[in-house]
Order: sequence, then structure tokens, then C-alpha cells
Amino acid sequence: MTIFARPRTASPMEAARWSPRRQLATNLRSVFGRAYPRLIGLAREPSWTFFEVLLPFLTTSAFVFVYRALDAPAEYIGFVVLGGAMTAFWINVVWMMGAQLWWEKDAGNLELYFTTPIDLMSVLLGMALGGLVASCLRAGVVLLVGTVVYGVSFGVDQWVLLLAVFVLTLTALYGFGMVLASLFLLWGREAFHLAQLLQEPVYFLSGLNFPVARLGMLGALAISTLPLAVGLDAMRQLAFPGGVATYGTPSPEIEAALLVAMTCFFLLAARFMLRTIERMARHEGRLTTRGD
Amino acid sequence: MEPTVAAFDRHALRATRSRRDGWRDTWRGYRTAARLGWRVEANWADPILFLTYSVAKPLAGALILVVMLEVVSGGGADEYRAFIVVGSALWSFVIAGLSGLAMSVLDDRERYRMLKYLYISPTSLAVLLLGRGTARFAMGGIGAAVTLAVGVLFLGVPFDPAVMDVPLLLASMALGLSGVIALGVVFAAVVLQTRQDSWSYPEAVAGALFLLVGAVFPLAVLPMPVQALGLVTPLTWWVAAVREALFPDAVSSIAGPGSLYTRLTGVTEPDRWVLLICLLATTVLVTLGAMLTFRVSERRAKDRGLIDQTTGT
Repeated sequence: MTIFARPRTASPMEAARWSPRRQLATNLRSVFGRAYPRLIGLAREPSWTFFEVLLPFLTTSAFVFVYRALDAPAEYIGFVVLGGAMTAFWINVVWMMGAQLWWEKDAGNLELYFTTPIDLMSVLLGMALGGLVASCLRAGVVLLVGTVVYGVSFGVDQWVLLLAVFVLTLTALYGFGMVLASLFLLWGREAFHLAQLLQEPVYFLSGLNFPVARLGMLGALAISTLPLAVGLDAMRQLAFPGGVATYGTPSPEIEAALLVAMTCFFLLAARFMLRTIERMARHEGRLTTRGD
Repeated sequence: MEPTVAAFDRHALRATRSRRDGWRDTWRGYRTAARLGWRVEANWADPILFLTYSVAKPLAGALILVVMLEVVSGGGADEYRAFIVVGSALWSFVIAGLSGLAMSVLDDRERYRMLKYLYISPTSLAVLLLGRGTARFAMGGIGAAVTLAVGVLFLGVPFDPAVMDVPLLLASMALGLSGVIALGVVFAAVVLQTRQDSWSYPEAVAGALFLLVGAVFPLAVLPMPVQALGLVTPLTWWVAAVREALFPDAVSSIAGPGSLYTRLTGVTEPDRWVLLICLLATTVLVTLGAMLTFRVSERRAKDRGLIDQTTGT
């Protein structure tokens, strides 16, 4: 037996035989390492501020003008502005997380992730945090400018609950994004089509520009499965309390509990699925092949 | 003899290119690029998923607007329903036209890394990109047709084939689609200069144009300077002309009380000839601008080495 012979291990992390402290430190470094190119990329190519921050505001404005053309109550304009802000996070989840492992495979980086002694969730968390900066900026601009330009008035009484719902929505969304990342990787080239499919249809089912309760059973189904639908509805109820348009859905407290359940479910599902694809990648050696 | 830089005769290359770049070669290059584009888009996807994807996106976009209308009007406003369905159906052409060419640049440069080889092939880059974009354009057409059909069959859009103005429809579609392609060329020129992460730019631009052109609401609700911008865009006249051809009684997106058009002309609804002439004039303007922009962008990309540069972030 030579010094190169090593016992079989379940993962590169196990093979590294690091202390828990070193594992944690390495994973934290991975989070930062994966967030870094996204953050630095923002500074290197300023065109994104125009295309990804200012133009989406104009898209949101189009829906505001639809309601204005219909002489809708001012509350609906607030709905559109809030919905427009939340799309930033959804797009980030679908494109910058869901489809990202697939892009990484295309770029030839995926096999490096599978062979390094880090948890794949650290890489995805790094992507999430890196992308979150741009998304927060975009959402903030839509919310702030929309509020000022279109005179939206919020009547928030429960700030703490609103903040909790927002954070829970983001964690559930990013957990969902991690699940999508594994699925998109398995579905290969169709990932691009699936990512497209998860935009307008999900906006419709989540009631992005109108109260989701108006969709009846479809809306109820969306509230029980889509973090965007339940989070958006809870935030609307808290931001525009007493509005007739929020009638017909569970209370914000119940929706917050739903979001907690979704967060746990999606994070556990993501962990299971990432482990599964990691195992598949090592055993079958196909997942990391470019052009599969 | 050792080869030198001087041995490479750029003028000779240009002459060879122009000799071989006749209509037949151009057509062959376009056809090949279009076939490749279709295969990239459709052949590698599951057919059911591909069809669902082609149709679900524009349909969901139209449904969002129809539900918004229902929420506010409570099922009244039939004429506005037709207005919204036509606007959102045509919009799938705009998204497809804008993203088709731009995505071809990004795909071929960043993913397949073939743009440099395409660039040095005898067919012009613009023709190859147009070919690659044709597949997406066709998908946009499928989405538009299905959205209109669903609108008429299930969403209560009052469509009467007897009153349809077919010549106006054909002429406006021909001109309007040319305008969309010209805007697509402009956008391909833009992404030749930007980084890999520009994947989302075409949809962002299409979303912004959605505000300007009266696709889903009359221009009269916009501030006057924004209306003026809308009136110099071919898409505004295209959407209005198609709407006029399909639903002559629909609300005008261009004229009406509070609109810049009515203030300038005193007319409350532009007739079909005005729509066509304005569409022709703005399309010619945008096409000339697109050709110029693409030429400048291509030259700059060549000078700065952007054609074979990948910019992964």
C-alpha cells in the first residue's frame, strides 16, 4: 500500500479530514468567494444599472398606467409597485440561482465545485448573497421611485411582522432557488426554457399586479405552494390594511407561518437534492460533462 | 520566406468577401443560420415543454392584464379587453424580435464561443444574426396567434371576421415586423458591446417600450413628453394599425381626449392611411438608424477585440 492509497469516502469534505472549525471557515470563504464575482461584476459593467434597475421601473410603470387608464382605486397602484419590487427577487432566484449550476456546467466550473471540499450549499448561498445586492437595489428603486412618482401611501401598523414576512419570503424563495438549481441541472438544456416558463406564468399565479384571491382555487393553490404568492399577499395585507382587495386570503400571521414551513421544506429539499446530484456526479460522471 | 503582417492583405480579403457575398450566398447563409437557430431553440427541448414554453409566456402576460381589467371593471369594458389582448399578443413578437438577435450574439460569443468563426465567414454577421433570430421570431408568432385565439375563444374578445380590414392588417404586419427586426438589430449592436450578463437586457428594454407604445393602455394617460417619444416609435403605429384592422371599433391608443396627437392634429382617431404612412416613416427611420448603429458597433467590437472575448461573471 502506498501513501497515495486512501480509504473510500462519501465526499471530498470527508476526504479532507478537517476539523469542524476548518470546515466552517472554508464554507464561509466559499460563500464569500462565490459572492465576490457578482459584486465586483456590478462595478465593472455599469450598464446593468440602466438595464436592470431603471428599465424594470418603466415596466412596472406600464402596469400602473393600465390601472390609471381604468380609473382603478389608488390602492391597486400600490399593489403594482410592491409586486414590481418583488419581481427583482424572483428573477434573481430563477436566473441567478436556479439556472446557475447549469451555466456553471456550461462554463466548465461545475466539476471544480464537486471536487472541492466544500458544501454545494455554500456556493449557492454565495450566489444568493452576491445577487441579492443587485436585486435589493432594483427592488428599492422600484419601491422608492414608484412610491414618490405615483403617490402610493402605505399604512403599515405592524412593521416587525412586515419585516419578518419579507425576510421569510426571501429565505423561502432562495430555498426554492436551490431546489431549482438541482432540477435545472438534471434537466440539462431545457433549463433555459424552464426558467422562461417560471416568469410570466408565475407572475400571473402569484397575483403580481392584482389580489391573488381573485383567482379563486388557482390563487389558493398558489398561496399554498409559491413563496412569492404567499409572501406578496401577506405584505400587501400589512402594507394596505383594511383594503377590500386583500379580502379572501389567510391572515398575515397564518401566511407568515406558511412561509416558515415553506422555508424549512425548501431548504431540506435543496439539501437532499444537492447531495443526490453530487453523488450522481461522482458515481456516474455525466452531470459535469459539457454539452450533455 | 517568413510570413509578415504585411503579407496579410486586408483589402484582398474584403474583395473576396464582396465577390462571394452575392444574393445566393447571402440567402444560403441566412437559411443555414435560421435552421441552426430553430434547432438550438426547439430540437433539443422536449416538444411538449417547448410548445408550452412558447405559448405559456405570452398567454400568462395577457391573462395578467385581463384579470387586472376584470378586478377593476367587474366584467364590463369589452372594448378594452380586445385592446389589451391585441396589444399583449403583438408584444410577444417584440420580445422575440428584440431578444432573438441579442441572444444570438450572447449565445455564440459566450456559450458556444463561435462568434469569432461566424464573423470571419463570407456571409455578413448581420445576416447570420438575422437568421439565428428567425427561430425566436417564429416562436413569437406562435405565441401571438395562440394568445389572440384564446382571447377570442375564452376571454370574450368580440371578434367579427366580416369587419376585419385584411389589406391594412397585412400591410401593417409587414411594416411593423420590419420595425421590430430593426430594433432587434439595434439591440444586437448594443450587446456586442456589453458583458455576458446582458441576457436579461432585451426583456428589460421590451418592458420599457411596453410603457411607451400604447400596447395595453391609451397613450393619452401618459405625460405629453412621453407621448411624444411614443409617437416616434414604429411599434406605436404598428399596434394601433393592427388593432384598427382587427377591431375597427376598439379604443384608439394614439388619439383621444388628452392625447398629444389630438392636440396637434385636432383629430380624435387617425384613419388607416395616417396609421400606415406614420408606420412607414418611423420604420424607415428606425431601419436606417439600426444599420448605422450595427455598423458602428461591429467596427468598435472588431477594434477592441470584443468579438472573441468571453466575459463570464
